[in-house]
Amino acid sequence: MIDLQERFIERRSFIYRLFLIYFLFGTFLLLILYQIFQLQISNYSEYEIAALENKTHEMNIQPIRGLIYDRNGEVLVKNVPTFNLISIPNKVNDPNSFIDDIRNFIDITLEEEAIFYEKFKSKARYNRELVIKRNLNEQQIASFEVRKHNYPSLFVEKRYSRYTDYPSILSHALGYIGAPSDAELSKILSEALHPRQETIFSYGNGFISGKTGIEKTFDNELRGKFGEKVYEVDARGRLLKEISIKNPEEGKSIFTSLDLGSHIAANKALNGRMGAVVAIEIETGEIVTLFSSPSFSINDLSNGISRDKFNTLINSPQKPFFNRALKGRYPPASTIKPAIGIFGLENKLIDWNFSIEDPGFFTLPEDGRIYRGWKKGGHGKVNLNKAIVVSSNTYFFSLAYRSDINKLGDHFSQLGFGSKVCIDCFDEDPGLIPTPEWKRNKLNSGWSLGDTVNLGVGQGYMVATPIQLAYYSGMIANKGFINKLSLIQNQEDSFSELIALDNFKELDWNKLHRAMTDVIDSPAGTSRRLQDLKSFKVAAKSGTAELVSLDSKEDYLLIRENEEQRDHAIMIAFGPMPSPKYAVSVVIENGESGGAVAGPVAIEVLKELIEQ
Amino acid sequence: MRLLKFKRFNFFYDPYLLISIIFLSLIGLIILYSASQESSAIIIKQSIFVFFGIILMIIVSQPDPAFYKNLSGLFLIFSVFLMLLTIFFGSEVNGAKRWLDFGFFTLQPSELIKIALPIFLASYLYDKPLPINLKDTFFSILIISISFFLIVFQPDLGTSIVVLLAGFYVLFLAGLSWRFIGSSFAIFLLSTPFLWNNLLQPFQRQRIATLFNPEADPYGTAWNITQSKIAIGSGGISGKGYGAGSQSHLDFLPETTSDFIFAVIAEEFGFLGALALLSIYTFILFRCFYLSLNARDRFCRLTIGGLSLIFVTTIFVNLGMVVGILPVVGMPLPFISSGGTSLLSFYIAFGIIISMASHKKLIRQ
Repeated sequence: MIDLQERFIERRSFIYRLFLIYFLFGTFLLLILYQIFQLQISNYSEYEIAALENKTHEMNIQPIRGLIYDRNGEVLVKNVPTFNLISIPNKVNDPNSFIDDIRNFIDITLEEEAIFYEKFKSKARYNRELVIKRNLNEQQIASFEVRKHNYPSLFVEKRYSRYTDYPSILSHALGYIGAPSDAELSKILSEALHPRQETIFSYGNGFISGKTGIEKTFDNELRGKFGEKVYEVDARGRLLKEISIKNPEEGKSIFTSLDLGSHIAANKALNGRMGAVVAIEIETGEIVTLFSSPSFSINDLSNGISRDKFNTLINSPQKPFFNRALKGRYPPASTIKPAIGIFGLENKLIDWNFSIEDPGFFTLPEDGRIYRGWKKGGHGKVNLNKAIVVSSNTYFFSLAYRSDINKLGDHFSQLGFGSKVCIDCFDEDPGLIPTPEWKRNKLNSGWSLGDTVNLGVGQGYMVATPIQLAYYSGMIANKGFINKLSLIQNQEDSFSELIALDNFKELDWNKLHRAMTDVIDSPAGTSRRLQDLKSFKVAAKSGTAELVSLDSKEDYLLIRENEEQRDHAIMIAFGPMPSPKYAVSVVIENGESGGAVAGPVAIEVLKELIEQ
Repeated sequence: MRLLKFKRFNFFYDPYLLISIIFLSLIGLIILYSASQESSAIIIKQSIFVFFGIILMIIVSQPDPAFYKNLSGLFLIFSVFLMLLTIFFGSEVNGAKRWLDFGFFTLQPSELIKIALPIFLASYLYDKPLPINLKDTFFSILIISISFFLIVFQPDLGTSIVVLLAGFYVLFLAGLSWRFIGSSFAIFLLSTPFLWNNLLQPFQRQRIATLFNPEADPYGTAWNITQSKIAIGSGGISGKGYGAGSQSHLDFLPETTSDFIFAVIAEEFGFLGALALLSIYTFILFRCFYLSLNARDRFCRLTIGGLSLIFVTTIFVNLGMVVGILPVVGMPLPFISSGGTSLLSFYIAFGIIISMASHKKLIRQ
């Protein structure tokens, strides 16, 4: 036992020590209070937002794409609601038995199966949905609905498809949609309110963007604006209830200048042959026909196509994906002759009365080289009018021979050659005007007089696209000026292009139009066979583009055995004369005769445009 | 000293502690109802614990302190025996063996050691002269170490630290020499790297690391702290309202009914609610402080001091963890968190405190 003295010391020591501990805890209490104060008062707003972000989950809602109309208000591309059978690959263990299971109640085609297997892995990895079958009919929906409790990884949902009633006729003009590239996707998502959140899709394909044609050029306008849906979620991310919804803004519709009827007519007239038809409204520069053949179904491309089918298309020697109207590079051949005539008159190398003797060939004085015409024995005495009507090569060889190549190049360029003529076409080829400088850089050889002579009949190095030929045709029809071409109706910011001409006057234009009208209407005209196909007057110029340079007709008979080496048939035309409304160009690959083969196509399209 | 005299027996109690603990228990039930997302099963179970806990507290406060002094050795041996049983027969939850399953009730023996150890040390040290000599110091440390290591290897870091502290509180209050404190503190500091590498489990090290850099990994190990801070912070001054805490009701906050229940209070009742709760705790602590200063003898002083310091340590470890200034260790908020043995152990502790405070020394007998 300890005594009283010690008990007093002990009690004092105890009090002292307990007080020390309580003091430490008091300090700690202040620290905790300070921390609570910091959290609840000082940084309240920050944590309030954090709590709100925790419990809300925003989702983007994909907007509906705008429609595409033709110039008469006909819907060309629309959004069609379809009922799709959609799977969640992430929840599927064995894709093979999964498909077999579904086959018990819904027929899955081999093509659909192929698409499913092809995309299964990547969709599962990123936990995305995968459409198995589109366009379920009522019976298929019903037979799924009664079994759906067995298939947690399957559901039927209304999703839109991009759809056109004219899948092959307008494919090159309209273009198709597809999955956006990574760059496109991040751009699309940057327009959404919550770029990093998931998206509720309105389309069966998920994210879409225009890949070619009008769908691509006007992708921004067509796309629309994302909406958003806000859910309350728990910590596991389960959606509990919808808090708010902001509907997406539908994309703007595009009112194109395209004319559906003329495409149907062009398609019928070309009948699957390789070629292109471009028609424009002369007054406005609006493109009414932009047709390339052969074609493909944009419905297939936009909504899913099996790799096999796609490979067949892309490996086809006829190149159905190639837009010949905008990218086909063809020698303009004899269709260039009116341009050479204008150049001769403007530069006073000739007048309308100037004539030469056409023996059927032109001899280059410098080296005696022979340049043949298409008619053995020639056309006799030929002035400009006759040279155009009968398409005398000799006349234009000799005229070109007297021309300055650089000035001639400028002239071609004012007529739209060598550069893009459309302001809103997808991926247009600029064609080529050959110049001495170009030849030196590209072919590393000097310009020869023979090159200039060849240009006189649109052969040699010069190439033009069908849309350039249509523009050129419209430029002549409109007597020297025309708007840059466009696919949009009532284009507000259109601008006019004109040729600078001093000596070529209204009267000359009328004479030129008359000569070109006589190409069809004169008994001597190269395209006189078209006379009876129409009830209105048409000005035209045909051309036959040689792919192989030959010296005689006999040689050609040999090479024409090989279809790919046959000449291209070309036609430019405008009408009705004397006040033309539409200009058209037609190219038919390996069609051989411009007047006889390309001509009827041009007439059919003009007829549809003028008489409808 | 409070005493109600009846014909057959005397009733010992302390009105301040009794009322404030019953009040705290009822508040706990109300908060638990919201924290458990209105689960009646949890509330019924907790109500039964609270009811029997209060009765147990009253029963435990009736015997004279001499009863505890004489039997403290037995209590400790019994608790250690239960701990050893746990090692062999305990039920394993999340890799930790802490519980003995009796079918209707699971017992956590480490909660009993938490009480038995300080009472035993008080009864061992109450007649030792100042300062405590080296032999008694080492004996005390040996007892503390055995208790500590039995728990730390369960593993249960939180409880083991509380038991360790409980032992040292009593040893310190009894008059441990300053020289010993100074030298052992130096040794502790030097051996910190060894303890860090060998004593702590990897997940425990991770929790401590998380404390210093919670933003580095908000969705991994720091999830609990981050969500707890968001819950507390978003409560603001007056809270989101009873039952309206989004953090707790949408499962962002972990362990809402046990370790993190303070975050629920702070979220739903705000800064004012948190202050109110801390006020009640502070009131209880001041009462215990007063009672220990006026205890009838050294044994009672040490016991009240030791037990009340366990109480305050538990509160502060829990609060420190929930507000993000201490590592995450499993530690309930006394009388508020759900839980069986831990809740009962505090009723027992306060029963003993009341016993120590309300029995006057019967000198004349």
